[in-house]
Amino acid sequence: VKRIGSLALLLAILVLLPLFAPGSWVLVLSKVLIAALFALAFNLLSGQAGMLSFGHAAYYAVGAFATLHLMLAAEHGWKVATPLLPAAGALAGLVVGALCGVFATLRSGVYFSMITLAIAELFYSLAPNLSGAFGGEAGLSSMRMPWLALDFSSDAQVYYLILAWSVGATAGLYFFTLTPFGRLTLALRENEQRVRFLGYDTYRTKIVIFTLSAMVAGLAGGLLAVAEESANYVLFETDASASVVLYAFVGGAGVFLGPALGALLLTVLSYAVSDVTTMLPFYQGVVFILVMVFAPSGIGGVIASHGAPVRGGWWPRLIAPYLFSLIPAAALTFSLIVAIELLQRFFSLAYADQLIAGGAYPPVQFAGRAWYPFSAVTWLAPIGSAVLGIALLRPSIRFVCRAWDPEAL
Amino acid sequence: MLEFVVISTLNGLIFGMLLFMVSSGLTLVFGMMGIVNFAHASFYMLGAYFGYAITKHFGFWWGLVVGPLAVALIGVAIERFLLRPVARFGHAHQILVTFGSVFIIRELVMLFFGRFSVPYQIPQSLHFSLFSIFGTAYPFYRLLMGGVSIVMFGLLFALLRWTRTGIVVRAAVHLPEMAEALGHNVPLVFTLVFGVGAWLAGVAGALGGAFFTTAPNLGLELGVIVFVIVVVGGLGSLPGAFIASLLIGLINSFSVGFDVSLADAAALIGLGSWAQAIGGLMILKLSSVAGSMPIVIMLIVLLLRPAGLMGERS
Repeated sequence: VKRIGSLALLLAILVLLPLFAPGSWVLVLSKVLIAALFALAFNLLSGQAGMLSFGHAAYYAVGAFATLHLMLAAEHGWKVATPLLPAAGALAGLVVGALCGVFATLRSGVYFSMITLAIAELFYSLAPNLSGAFGGEAGLSSMRMPWLALDFSSDAQVYYLILAWSVGATAGLYFFTLTPFGRLTLALRENEQRVRFLGYDTYRTKIVIFTLSAMVAGLAGGLLAVAEESANYVLFETDASASVVLYAFVGGAGVFLGPALGALLLTVLSYAVSDVTTMLPFYQGVVFILVMVFAPSGIGGVIASHGAPVRGGWWPRLIAPYLFSLIPAAALTFSLIVAIELLQRFFSLAYADQLIAGGAYPPVQFAGRAWYPFSAVTWLAPIGSAVLGIALLRPSIRFVCRAWDPEAL
Repeated sequence: MLEFVVISTLNGLIFGMLLFMVSSGLTLVFGMMGIVNFAHASFYMLGAYFGYAITKHFGFWWGLVVGPLAVALIGVAIERFLLRPVARFGHAHQILVTFGSVFIIRELVMLFFGRFSVPYQIPQSLHFSLFSIFGTAYPFYRLLMGGVSIVMFGLLFALLRWTRTGIVVRAAVHLPEMAEALGHNVPLVFTLVFGVGAWLAGVAGALGGAFFTTAPNLGLELGVIVFVIVVVGGLGSLPGAFIASLLIGLINSFSVGFDVSLADAAALIGLGSWAQAIGGLMILKLSSVAGSMPIVIMLIVLLLRPAGLMGERS
């Protein structure tokens, strides 16, 4: 009952949010929903069935292009209800996913990852050459047609369309995990051989799971096509496949809504800082590696693990160590950001243009301060805080560990 | 026609040897640690960029020697400080960490060297032809790449076959637990092999980068080709990686030169005009999709022989 209550609250927030969000953020929220659905689809395959796909962008992009083709057809007089357009993406994801799944699931483990990556790369290299299907290098673009009383010209209307589809698909994915077949998916991750000995056809099971995951990814792509009204072959890029891996594992692959949380945090972050830095993919990669090394169950997993202290009432003793570990965390973050941003500016082409042969090196602007390349302050700031952070890292980890388990150490 | 065949064969074999320098490290590491290092092709890219940076200040040969050593150090650091701490969370986590490293390495390379390719070129002193066949001069540098690859392969083989360390490495590849139980420092051997693999990829990068392009996307583009090689050859098998490298090298150099399409093939059985009418995939020229050919080959091999040419059944 408590769970249903919190889900209803979450849903209410999602419904009411556009009313309070500033104009341009409604579109960002739509993107968050799409990314979250994509991440959940990916997690069905990678988190629940344990098959790491590094090429999920292929099905996402195929879904987007299929929906765009349907939108173009609607422009030319086909009678298609606009809210049903993303279904074309789901269908395309299903068909292409089934086809690719037959190949990819022939092998498991790391082979599977390499094959999915290679298949996505095949799409990426072929797409610009196939102007009929993918619009060549320019891509395809279309317009949303009005339907009944709705003209889908405002961001809010599109947001509610996307919200309806993604909530429906998420509920579907959740109830799938409760079915016997969904339980089989988890069993496949834990011990494939044993599932086979129990008499299940694991190869076919894997194809079905792969296809389902590709179908939902295609649906997410279809929603993207409706939101953007255009798509080009860049959607097939490995970076898109990588970002969904990032969402799922930063958010936590072991918790059902973890990937959606990861998608929310990383998408909002990318919109928030896109004007400030060009090094965003680098920071995302660093966050990903740090989560992998220090919190392998992801942010969602970390939150879930705090259920026990909260229920047991001993959470207050975690506060002091957490506050203490903020010091090294802040010091290291500061050091990394300053060092990377300064290096980026000193090595940029714009800086090289400013150099006059034989002249002095000019300073660069960062965080409202002029930094000279050969002044001691410039490099003492990041190095000093890095030293401080590293020195305090181990004590703070030990402090946190002792608070969690006083018997240990 | 004969000219095309001979030159394409030579080019393909030499490109294949270069690919083998990259794929051999990948397959050795897989055999030992059970993980595929997705950042392995990034070591090739780092080799090329280090080679370029050092060449600019000290000369080509310094770049060829020092660059790969720096790459080896980075490889050792990644194994020691990233892969070993996450080993207890399982192979999937290690693979994810290497996958993340691909993007971090690419971003760092773009930070220092810019988003576009750099003008890393072979030195003027090596810019001559050794012999000419069919009236075209054959560049000496290609033969140098092939020669270095063969020397490297010989060294690797001799090391693995005839030295004590080599015996321990081979033992650790097959049965890591048993080798450890016999008192060998297997984690050290892991780090060593990881470093040597990175070094080999770095040598290939410092050599090949000067001849082919050196761009930040290399880690991904070459990576896919190398993964195809190990899937086709069978992971963990050096002979398999060798055969598959040469095969992919040859396919690559031959498909660039063929202006045929699926529609032309269909014409042979009298369906030419039908295929032309379909368009799309059917009328794509082989030469324009040469980059995708290795992936198609991989899909075919997967259907016919899922374990790869020399791989053990999984």
